[in-house]
Amino acid sequence: MTTISEPAPPQAAPIVTGRTIRLRHGKALLRHVGGTLGITLPVFFIATLITFLLGVVSGLDPAAGIAGDAASPETVARIRTDLGLDQPVVFQYLHWIGGVLRGDLGTSWFNGVPASELILQRLPISLSIAGVALLVGVVFGLGLGLVAGVRHGGRLDRAITLFAALVSSLPPFVVAFVLILIFSLWLGWLPSSGYVPFADDPIGWLAAVSIPAVALSVDVIADLARQLRTGLVVALSENYVTGAVVRGLSRRRILFVHVLRNASGPALTVLALKVPMLIGGAVVTEAIFNMPGMGKLAADSALRGDVPVVQGTLVVSILLILACNLCVNILLGVLQPAARRRS
Amino acid sequence: MKQAHSDLPADNVVTLDIRHRRPEPPAEPLLSVRNLHVVTAQGRELVRDVSFELAAGGTLGIVGESGSGKSLTCRAILDVLPPGLNVASGSIRFGDVDLSRLDAASWKDLRGKALSAVFQDPGSYLNPSIPVGRQLVEAIRATLRLGRTAARDRALELLRQVGFEDADAVYRQYPFELSGGMAQRVLIAIAICAGPRLLIADEATTALDVTVQAEVLDLIDRLRREQALTLILVSHDLAVVSQICEHVIVMRDGAIVDAGPTRSVLGNPQSAYTRSLIEDHAVHTIDSAPSRAAAVQSAPLLAVKGLHAGYGIRTVIQDVDLELAPGEILGLIGETGSGKTTLLRTILGLIPAASGTIELGGARIDRLKAGPLRELRRSGTLQYVFQDPLRSLDPDLTISASIAEGLHLRGDIGRAAVSEAVDDALKAVGLDPALAARLPRHLSGGQRQRAVIARALALAPRLLLLDEPVSALDAVNRLHVLKLLRSLAVEKHIAQVFISHDLGSVAGIADRVAVLYRGRIVETGLAAQILASPSHPYTRRLLDAAPRLSADRSERPAAFTAH
Amino acid sequence: MIRQLLRYPSARAAFVILAVVAVLAVFGPFLAPHDPLAQDGSALLQPPGTRYWLGTDALGRDVFSRLLAGSTVSVLASLLSVSIGLVLGVVPGLLSVFLGRRFEWINLRVIDALMMLPFLVFAIAMTAMLGNGLVQAMFAVGILITPAFFRVTRAAALSIANAEYIEAARLMGASTSAILRRHVVAKVLPPVAVAAASMTGACLSIVASLTFLGIGVVPPDPTWGGLLATDLANLYDRPFGPVAPALLIVATVWALNALADALRDSGRKETAA
Repeated sequence: MTTISEPAPPQAAPIVTGRTIRLRHGKALLRHVGGTLGITLPVFFIATLITFLLGVVSGLDPAAGIAGDAASPETVARIRTDLGLDQPVVFQYLHWIGGVLRGDLGTSWFNGVPASELILQRLPISLSIAGVALLVGVVFGLGLGLVAGVRHGGRLDRAITLFAALVSSLPPFVVAFVLILIFSLWLGWLPSSGYVPFADDPIGWLAAVSIPAVALSVDVIADLARQLRTGLVVALSENYVTGAVVRGLSRRRILFVHVLRNASGPALTVLALKVPMLIGGAVVTEAIFNMPGMGKLAADSALRGDVPVVQGTLVVSILLILACNLCVNILLGVLQPAARRRS
Repeated sequence: MKQAHSDLPADNVVTLDIRHRRPEPPAEPLLSVRNLHVVTAQGRELVRDVSFELAAGGTLGIVGESGSGKSLTCRAILDVLPPGLNVASGSIRFGDVDLSRLDAASWKDLRGKALSAVFQDPGSYLNPSIPVGRQLVEAIRATLRLGRTAARDRALELLRQVGFEDADAVYRQYPFELSGGMAQRVLIAIAICAGPRLLIADEATTALDVTVQAEVLDLIDRLRREQALTLILVSHDLAVVSQICEHVIVMRDGAIVDAGPTRSVLGNPQSAYTRSLIEDHAVHTIDSAPSRAAAVQSAPLLAVKGLHAGYGIRTVIQDVDLELAPGEILGLIGETGSGKTTLLRTILGLIPAASGTIELGGARIDRLKAGPLRELRRSGTLQYVFQDPLRSLDPDLTISASIAEGLHLRGDIGRAAVSEAVDDALKAVGLDPALAARLPRHLSGGQRQRAVIARALALAPRLLLLDEPVSALDAVNRLHVLKLLRSLAVEKHIAQVFISHDLGSVAGIADRVAVLYRGRIVETGLAAQILASPSHPYTRRLLDAAPRLSADRSERPAAFTAH
Repeated sequence: MIRQLLRYPSARAAFVILAVVAVLAVFGPFLAPHDPLAQDGSALLQPPGTRYWLGTDALGRDVFSRLLAGSTVSVLASLLSVSIGLVLGVVPGLLSVFLGRRFEWINLRVIDALMMLPFLVFAIAMTAMLGNGLVQAMFAVGILITPAFFRVTRAAALSIANAEYIEAARLMGASTSAILRRHVVAKVLPPVAVAAASMTGACLSIVASLTFLGIGVVPPDPTWGGLLATDLANLYDRPFGPVAPALLIVATVWALNALADALRDSGRKETAA
């Protein structure tokens, strides 16, 4: 071999210390969190703008409703001015979103009750269903995905993949119908309708919530299982797995410390995308199980043209969804700093 | 498949007799591979009847091109064959352990402790999401049963041992923050953490820059001597292997075609394939027709003055001056990150120049507006040839369609004229016109690169910018393409800027050479002169680091002195 | 292309199912043995039998006839939603990659916002507030599935936008539109086709959900989702009532998904070859 008269240091840059690296990583993490927030805010405003425009485009006029059928055009015009409806749409939006940010969602055109009050009454029901569905979906979805991914190509994997493919073709109400048939009609274990608050009777709450939540979670289970399986199959074929094997690490350690972390990306991304489906899907389950949740409130209000309540439910849903997404995206950045750098 | 080979004569078992310099104990092989066959699930044999023995403390090089089975042989030894591949028959013994019938628990006790390995593309062998220090500690604790702080101290010590002065910084870095050479050092640190007996280095320096390659090879050699490691060094480059290994095996198509002490294999190769490998290392001077003498007098075709450019706030090239006469070939040498490609892309107008000027045929071409830039590009005066021909051709377009694309874009040429120009271009690069109707993936690597050059030629360029045009090609095709480029310069007076990290190619083709180091041209002059007697220390280091065949191993210290 | 797909058993089954569905969608109303709206007061909530093959509902209407008659609307509604989503998603998805960073940023944020809307609630709200009808429902669903097409198109375009042959074309003076036409569009279409197939299935399920909630369709007109809703309401009297419409929906959605999978697999094989 050659002798190098002036060997280059392995690093071109001047000597760095562990402290500088730690600082650099801290800054990168802050930038990631900042960047995620920087995307979330405009998304919030665009989503609420769409929500607001829905009311404008509907052509429903609260002034006419308030004034009554017999009112003169002048009265209607005066009420319109009072409500600010004669201003440009942008100003109306800014006025409305200002109220929203202060917690004022307006009052129902139908019964004059503040929309926030109506929503707050219904929120626990919807959150119960969506929350339990999310929990069930994550536990079983990740569990099945893990098994399928580790045993990929095997019989268990094929069974899980087939299950996922079948189940994702099912609309949630079909699953609900099958579950009602089995657990309510035949076995009589669970009620097929109604809701019991958790504070009143936790067991009753669980019984009431379980069928709708499971019905809703099936789709989450299928999608999470599929994504985690794909992620695992890809990650298991990566070189660092071979490297870890050659280093003499145990199978379990390789799977849970090294592979799972890098394989969870697609599953977590899909999980974030599933949250809007869960909150939206609660409408159907609430209808089937005759539960007075937020989705039912939105549907009923929409059908009778109660714009503030509809907008209120949508805004609350959007906030919940954005919060979940924010958490997942930050988590992804923490779990996979390399992926964070790429995006 | 098994039966087909069991009746082969046994004399193709190659025994590498590596004798200790000490008279005793008698040489007991540390590793013994006998009649190894590796097959795919479909029964295709990828490794055929490979046998060799390696004594403790010995150094064995395995040489062959990709697909020769050299890496699979190593992976079979480590029991990490890719999914779908299996050892069909044969035995692998390590010390007194039969590796072919080892259970998972015993493997775990062996790997990382007695048997370790480093690979090509080192960064990918580290978990991208975990700082490298923690991965090193993990490996230490898996093998040595040390406490947390003890393992940490050992990790920092190992990092220093493999050449990191700033070990505590590297300790905290993620793999993606390390260069290839740094990542390989980390992997070497992990590999030696438990004091293994056998180290397998599978293409461990491939794709690293030559100076980094030299450093990593030096490191491996030093550790081998200090720790009495037995080493298997796998490479496609005979020169790399010849510098470290006492014994060498040459593989092709899954079988051993040549084997023995390095000196005798190099001096007296038994197979035509080995001879061709040795010949590849001879520097080919393509042709030295005096294209330059006349050229120098004429006005420069390309003139770059005081050029600065980069990406965003990062300046990559600084104060670059270049001149190129019509028909002249300039070789541009430099390592990864030196700014070679950035320089070409700035000339092409893909990256804006921060300051300085670029003139082509006397007219400024830096800071062109979109319209004039498109005009210039459509004129075809300036053409670019990419490193990887497969990626620079649309996979869905036939070769002729790709070549015709630029002509169609001009819009002033009729269909017949276009197809005539395509034919001419194909003829000029010596490509069979029958290939024109094929898709790129149905051509060989050499044919593809000719097709890409034909695409450039169809537009009648005056200047060709070539970014590593031959580095993806094998030796034979490399020579053909170099000859083609040389003839274009001599006969058609097409000036060329030729980027290569392969000094042999540059020496063979270039009239002049410019050496780029950290974005600056540190040396420029006649090719023969610079390559023979470089004046800048960086150029010297670059030339020194290039591996060359060394049949004489006496210059190296003996392998067994460091006990 | 089709011959290649037919090598997959699941694709063959999918083609058979889709052919049946297509026949139902086109000729369903004419094939119905009874008037789907006619009420037979003497035969309420009948089990399946020889006169009414799948029985009757609470108003004595023939379930089989209603199923056939509802096919056209159900299939057409999901196809139209997909068409709207295609147009609104593919074009911006393609252009977001090639038309500069500002255009890209705005596009991405609008798509993000659409993805953050609670899907069904928003579809319901939009349909109801635009004047509850089938067209409104299709429009709402079409807008809400736009992100799916946008993302698929964008991902495919991104994967080739930085390809060296695109750069080579640009260096020969090709304009963005020339590059799109010559190098990009043909490569983006296959994944978009895959997405369209699976989204048609998803839309069928969504439209069924909406009609199930009484959104988008006026009650007496039969649709698959609407039938399911009335059958579920009468679950105690006819526990097997929902089986037929549910089966039809599930089979169609499955067939479209299977077709999408086969399309994707055969595309992958082709590029690997």
